[in-house]
Amino acid sequence: MRSRDGNSSITRAIWPLIFFSSFALLDAKEFIISYRYVVKDATLYNETLYISEAMQKCSGTPQEHLLLTTDKKNSLKDIIKNNEEEFIDFIHKLGLSVEHKEKTTNLINTSTTILTLKSTCFKVDFNDNFATIAPLK
Amino acid sequence: MKKIISLSIILGIASVSFIGCAQKTDRGPNSYRAMNQDCYEQKCIRNSLDETSDKASKPIKNIEVQREVPQDAPILEKNKTLRISVVGQGVAPTNTSSPAQAYALAKRAAVADSYRLIAEKVKGVYVEGDDLIQNMMVKRSSIRTSVTAMVKNANVIETNFKEGLCEVEMEIVLSHAQFGH
Repeated sequence: MRSRDGNSSITRAIWPLIFFSSFALLDAKEFIISYRYVVKDATLYNETLYISEAMQKCSGTPQEHLLLTTDKKNSLKDIIKNNEEEFIDFIHKLGLSVEHKEKTTNLINTSTTILTLKSTCFKVDFNDNFATIAPLK
Repeated sequence: MKKIISLSIILGIASVSFIGCAQKTDRGPNSYRAMNQDCYEQKCIRNSLDETSDKASKPIKNIEVQREVPQDAPILEKNKTLRISVVGQGVAPTNTSSPAQAYALAKRAAVADSYRLIAEKVKGVYVEGDDLIQNMMVKRSSIRTSVTAMVKNANVIETNFKEGLCEVEMEIVLSHAQFGH
């Protein structure tokens, strides 16, 4: 039979780990993000990015993630605003649905292209200096 | 003497024409005329190869040999990838506040154009057109095209911005496994 003193050092070492990891788990949030932009006649016409915290828990497992620097900001909107180019590139990699319509009447051409990221749930882990964002599928 | 010369000339002409006819009949269905008139590309190549085999004695250089592809053969073969490359174009809006903003917006438009081109190449385009003709004159001619697709994992290769026009070269690598058949 082991003595209490013999095991105390191990439990002391494990408890902080459990404590902090539980905090880390609490810091993970889920967000619903959708993105859409419209190009008319080869010129960008409208671009929208919707970010909303998920009201219900999302299902699925995290896919490949993106690291964004937080600059001591807690809001995802602010973080994405600071890293806009990286995040938009990341969204493009995930896949966008393309909808293109073109009309030529009496040799005059007009076209509209709409690229859309449908509402997707992202898991976001906030840390001190960076946030990890990964889509759930 | 004159008679002998004229006879020899006539005989010479007759023999030359006879040889020509004999060569034409030897070629049979693979004659040049048949090759030029009614054949598709692959058939033409086959015919030209047959022509060259007839003239085996002469050394022939620079023969373009194409592999014949059956019509029902799959475009994406197993264990092989298909790389599709496109160049999309975008223009900056006129009411931009800085050249940097103009570049960013033009690039966004060019990327959208590239995505559209990829979708068109991979999935195809739906085309619809109609012409209105009145009193033997075309009153209105309209063509409508559309494409709808989902594009994933397309990569930007190169970006050029010159005189308000942004060109983005993008490529996508397709493999048989991606389609999961």
